[in-house]
Amino acid sequence: MEREKICFTLNNSPVEIHCHPGERLVDVLREQLDLTGTKEGCGQGECGACTVLLDGRAVNSCLVLVGQVAGRSVTTIEGLAAGGKLDPLQTAFVQEGAVQCGYCTPGMIISAKALLMEKHNPTEAEIKEAIAGNLCRCTGYIKIIKAVQAAAASRFEG
Amino acid sequence: MSLRWIGKPIPRQDAWTKVTGEARYMSDLSMPNMLWGRVLRSPHPHALIKSIDIAEAVACSGVVAVLTHRDVPGLNAYGIVVQDQPVLCGDKVRFVGDAVAVLAAESKEAADHALGLIKVEYELLPGVFDPEVAMQQSSPTIHAKGNVLRHSKVHHGDVEGAFADSAVVVEREYRTSRPISAFLETEGGMAMLGADGVLTVYCGAQYPDRDVIQIARALGLERDKVRMVSTLVGGGFGGKDEITVQIHLALLALNTKRPIKLVLSREESMVTGWKKHPMIVRMKTGATSDGTLLAHEVSIISDTGAYASLGGTILHSAMEHCSGPYRVPNVRVEGHCVYTNNSISGAMRGFGVNQVTFAMETQMDILAEELGLDRLDIRIKNGLKDGDKGALGSPLVTAMGPVQTLQAAGQTELWSQRETYKAEPSRPWKKRGVGLAAAIKGCGLGFRMPDFGAASVELLPSGFFRVRVGCPEIGQGNTIAFAQMAAEVLGCSVDQVEVVTGDTGETPDSGTSTASRSIYVAGNAIIDAATKVVELVEQGISARLVVDVEEVELGEAEVRAGGTALSYLDVAALLLQNGQTCCAAGRFDAPKATEEVPSVYGLPHLVFGTNAHVALVEVDTLTGQVEVLQVSAVSDAGRVINLQGLEGQSEGGTVMGMGYALTEDIIIDQGMVRTLNFNNYIIPTAMDTPPISTTVVEVVEKTGPFGAKGVGEVVCISITPAITNAIYDAIKVRVTELPATIERVLAGLQGV
Repeated sequence: MEREKICFTLNNSPVEIHCHPGERLVDVLREQLDLTGTKEGCGQGECGACTVLLDGRAVNSCLVLVGQVAGRSVTTIEGLAAGGKLDPLQTAFVQEGAVQCGYCTPGMIISAKALLMEKHNPTEAEIKEAIAGNLCRCTGYIKIIKAVQAAAASRFEG
Repeated sequence: MSLRWIGKPIPRQDAWTKVTGEARYMSDLSMPNMLWGRVLRSPHPHALIKSIDIAEAVACSGVVAVLTHRDVPGLNAYGIVVQDQPVLCGDKVRFVGDAVAVLAAESKEAADHALGLIKVEYELLPGVFDPEVAMQQSSPTIHAKGNVLRHSKVHHGDVEGAFADSAVVVEREYRTSRPISAFLETEGGMAMLGADGVLTVYCGAQYPDRDVIQIARALGLERDKVRMVSTLVGGGFGGKDEITVQIHLALLALNTKRPIKLVLSREESMVTGWKKHPMIVRMKTGATSDGTLLAHEVSIISDTGAYASLGGTILHSAMEHCSGPYRVPNVRVEGHCVYTNNSISGAMRGFGVNQVTFAMETQMDILAEELGLDRLDIRIKNGLKDGDKGALGSPLVTAMGPVQTLQAAGQTELWSQRETYKAEPSRPWKKRGVGLAAAIKGCGLGFRMPDFGAASVELLPSGFFRVRVGCPEIGQGNTIAFAQMAAEVLGCSVDQVEVVTGDTGETPDSGTSTASRSIYVAGNAIIDAATKVVELVEQGISARLVVDVEEVELGEAEVRAGGTALSYLDVAALLLQNGQTCCAAGRFDAPKATEEVPSVYGLPHLVFGTNAHVALVEVDTLTGQVEVLQVSAVSDAGRVINLQGLEGQSEGGTVMGMGYALTEDIIIDQGMVRTLNFNNYIIPTAMDTPPISTTVVEVVEKTGPFGAKGVGEVVCISITPAITNAIYDAIKVRVTELPATIERVLAGLQGV
């Protein structure tokens, strides 16, 4: 496949990669950039394990071609802990017991992050809707929902 | 005994790297110079292989190796109990997805391209897809020894006499579906041959030590030339108990002498992965007019698909649990486990118990209705107690929790106030119902199987303690429970303990992470090892500081010796620098029943966990849609080790059992799998999840570590009949076939 230079912002830093613009973003992240926090669970946008932020919105990176992100901003789970300080969502997921096998966790946290960037104090129904595209087979979602609520509440605490 | 750490909801240590994305699963690994593997699979459910031509694929640019059955150096077969599944098929394929060739290429694209260039000539054979048809003599034969893998019968008491004495006899047929584990991380990993000649396979799995045996046997290697690493694992649920891609990875690594990566697509996983056995369960149950169960006659026909794996053992587990958590004095049960050309069935959370419990708990509701009894009362009346006999006549000599668990379920608000909850449906055309069910599930491997735990505990130079256990962390949270149990014995804080699991190069063989067993057996082994390490530290410090052993005490952050307090770092320095090792091995052999159930290999189990569920549903009478609105779960896990972990198991198990009740089914049409991804294999999402409360009933088991039993499977079983019984309570439609899809519920409403 013919390679092209593609420039975009990744986790707040500029990157320049050389690859075919038709490659899937999830493959480029995992295989070229070694960012394996982004997982693949289904390859067709059904499970949400590969969720990343694209210009602040949650997208399935298995359905995004890398050519589409040129000039845009991508945030993966590795970019969420700015300056080494964990995002309140990350801390809340640990404290609330929202992590079991953990394979869905990065995508789940990214979807929740997109929600909390838009709504500081979401309702339970809004949380459920925001993560409805992220499948989890271990937890039954109860503690994940609690973790998102706890993270939202922690903003007000300070 | 006052406990410092046991029972506390301590957050898991492994969660920190999982939330940052740093955690590497086996399918995340890569190496320089790594190749990509792919598997060529049969498109036919039953066919003879006439020829395999790999020439064009081999000549393809970027292709490094193309291997067929001729390249399997050892036994070309695997299987936990019966080795009847070829690593690569040579003469015959038996299901759509059977592996015929593997290849390795420089890129995924090259591998995909070359796969299409392998030419296999098949001669199609008639397939058999219905287990009852497969049992007939005239059916096409899938394996030379015949289509019945296992036929077992147990009979005790006077069944005919007891039916004659019964005031009511309920006879029904139940059919269960074919769900799949659907772990989020598909089967996959990496393998490489080291300079030392050791082949290391990195692959998410539930028993790496047994995988080594199977890999070495297929490759004709000594076992010490194979190492298996299985940490971290993105979900198991039984589906990673048997070999998945380990032997294919090993074969390619050995042949190419390069690192190789192979990860199944979701579609491949759905086609080739291990499913829960679909069963046809016929039950006839008799009771007296006061609801005392008298007689139970059960026939089970189990579709194990193309290969054996654990099919026979799962059938026996179903037979053992065929009366659910209830006492029946006269029982006859007959089971057949049958090969078909459907895809393969194997271990999946519950191990045969989900199917029969769904049937039995429906029988109990029908009996209650026919006798005019309360659904809870009839269950408590018949609930198994210590000293009773189980369904197959074996004495139950450990802590049985059905009665206590059911009583607690009766006290939940959802049950006691059920008429209030049902009173106001959200729409006039919707109806609400509340259902109740309970289940028991044996913990551990049963009568004949070696069932042991092994662990080591070591004081490291850093002052931390390292616990090593073979049973892998597959997501269930056994590592934090192991750390808590070790800390409880050692006296230190949980933060001072690090746990390593699932690496045959480092951890002692401690058996599987299956069968709700790892807390029970490995926990006991950890207690043994940690107790020895405490003695080593006490004696060592006593000798170094010349104080009495009795004056040495291991505390949360420091060790006190007479008037002196030492940090663990200082303790480690003092002991290890003087050449003393502070490491001990622990061992636990699970106790067994005194007698085997005659003619049923491997039974009985000795220890049982119990669970009960109360479910509130709302049924849309126009569409047949069932919504689960609220669930109360009651869990008897013996002594709870980690409350947060127990709740996590209970909530996750409840939602998995909800999928089994309502939506999940791998659809196979003439051998072709039609549900290939999550677009039409529907597992519950956050939108489907109701509020779930978990009540803990601690029926302490004295042989368990701190009194704990296993809980991983039983939490997912009773929710399924609780939901189907709630559907009946709402609309008087009896669900006898899983799942209760909108089509089936609507057909029931319309009286079809």
